[in-house]
Amino acid sequence: MPVDEAMPSVRPAPAGRTDGTPPRQRVPRDRAAPRGGRRAERLAPYVLLAPALLILLLLRFWPLLLGVNFSFTGDGDRDGLMVGFDNYLELFRDPLFRGALRNVGLLVLLLPVAVAIPGLLATFIYLRVPGHRLYRSVYFFPAVLSPVIVGAIFNLLLAFDGPFNALLGGVGLGPVDWLGDPDVAMFVVVGVHIWATFGMALVVFLAGFATLDASLLDAARVDGASLPQTIRHVIVPSLSRTIQFVFVTTMIGMLTSMFGLLYVMTSGGPEGSTYLPEYYIWFQQGQLNRPALASAASTVLFLIMLVVGLLQISLLRRAVREA
Amino acid sequence: MSHVRWGRWLVAVPMAVLALATVYPLVFTVNVAMKTRRDYILDRFSLADALHWENIATAWNSVGMARYLVNSTVVVAVSVVLLLLFGSMAGFALSQLRFRGSSVLFLCCLAALFVPFQVIMVPLARIMGDTGLVDTYPGLVLAYVAQFLPFTIFLMTSYYKTIPTEIIDAARIDGNDVYGVYRRIMLPLGTPALLSVGILNALFCWNDVLISLLLMPSADHRTLMVGVTSLRGQYSDDIPTFASGVLIAAIPVLVIYLFLQRQIADGVAAGATKG
Repeated sequence: MPVDEAMPSVRPAPAGRTDGTPPRQRVPRDRAAPRGGRRAERLAPYVLLAPALLILLLLRFWPLLLGVNFSFTGDGDRDGLMVGFDNYLELFRDPLFRGALRNVGLLVLLLPVAVAIPGLLATFIYLRVPGHRLYRSVYFFPAVLSPVIVGAIFNLLLAFDGPFNALLGGVGLGPVDWLGDPDVAMFVVVGVHIWATFGMALVVFLAGFATLDASLLDAARVDGASLPQTIRHVIVPSLSRTIQFVFVTTMIGMLTSMFGLLYVMTSGGPEGSTYLPEYYIWFQQGQLNRPALASAASTVLFLIMLVVGLLQISLLRRAVREA
Repeated sequence: MSHVRWGRWLVAVPMAVLALATVYPLVFTVNVAMKTRRDYILDRFSLADALHWENIATAWNSVGMARYLVNSTVVVAVSVVLLLLFGSMAGFALSQLRFRGSSVLFLCCLAALFVPFQVIMVPLARIMGDTGLVDTYPGLVLAYVAQFLPFTIFLMTSYYKTIPTEIIDAARIDGNDVYGVYRRIMLPLGTPALLSVGILNALFCWNDVLISLLLMPSADHRTLMVGVTSLRGQYSDDIPTFASGVLIAAIPVLVIYLFLQRQIADGVAAGATKG
């Protein structure tokens, strides 16, 4: 934009000043944009933000409100009628949904495993075990694959007459119906999820290690600390923020990104044993045409995530302080 | 860097085993895809006697993989361009400009990060239905942009914060207005971040199955990942062809990973550390 546009914006010189030198005029002109452009300048941040805000408002916050409101209305015959907490009561009577909540509990129990594996591996890579450079990229690669691809691959490996059972048979162990046994299937799906995602957490841990003060480790070594001692007294406290972050994101990942695996590997079966709230929502909405009930399940999922997130943050804070 | 020496080799063995466990499923799938059906039934583990590309051809021709590939490519490309455009505009405003309400608006964008898709999917499907956007490219693109925009804004904001204000002041003195600064300074300087965030977003959109399953119901509009799920039913007794279909869908991502793993990992790390 040409600078000369600023010319007319200069205030008339005060009456007492008669020396009105040109440099005097230059000062306000340089500092700010022209008066005509002033308003445009002030509005510019809002213009730049407008598309993003519009999309977020219309397609994220508005649906969130709509969904909560929706969860208090009826399905089918009672479409659009307010039904109070009926949907929620029905949800908690539904064995499928209760199973989904039980599986959330299972995820919470398995969470430390899902965090400890990448944490330990990142520690070893940071301490430069032989081949550490290679491991970083090898471990990370499943994280870029779609859950659908991962699920399909493990469907092949875990089929009843598939290679995994053939391997077990080779060492004299009976075949296991990995995806057909209600007591086993959920563990298998979670295991595959961990297999597919620990690389993400690993990279996050490594980023945390990059901020670690190496002299602390040297000091620990000089003092003759063992590896477990070093991890407990040096690494864990120093990486508390990273650990906290990984805990929360891993939990959120387990609650919200296993749909692809569930869809491909088990479709919620056998006997509804692999339902998670997210799969339940999709099933009620897409297959059974029960959007209001699905909205109630969505609201419950949202509350679970809030509680889990806040709880983890406060628990971890305390744990780290005591460590 | 410290070289701590505690039992390095003791640790190295399980790590190697795990690396093998990470890679083997894919190697297995590639091998199966190259085998004949008969060979697979006779021995699951044996190496393919020759490269039987015909499985790939069968998978490619059977369920309209080409069509799905085009759908996915178009939707992902447009989504990523819009994400980067809107994300960098917002990130520039939030990081470098001073204006009334900026911190509230930043909190709004951040809060959106904590609204998972599963929580809004039912009303979103209804909104899309009411506006005639279900089963259309624009509908799916909008859904992806809405889904990944908070993350994009967040990363672009933290990246742009690292650009010194002097550069922007100098550009202003040279006569640029805000939009000129965005176009001539922020966009070029933001290239590394745009690349990382763009690749991550492309991966997220490409790998998604839930959103496209929900918003693109008709067979013709399926994205590649939804297409793969329909292969399963069709080839339940022809595993090599099924594996070939899976491979076709995995190859683009694997190629990208081979070339850009650094950027991908950096993007993930940046998302974690900039918090």
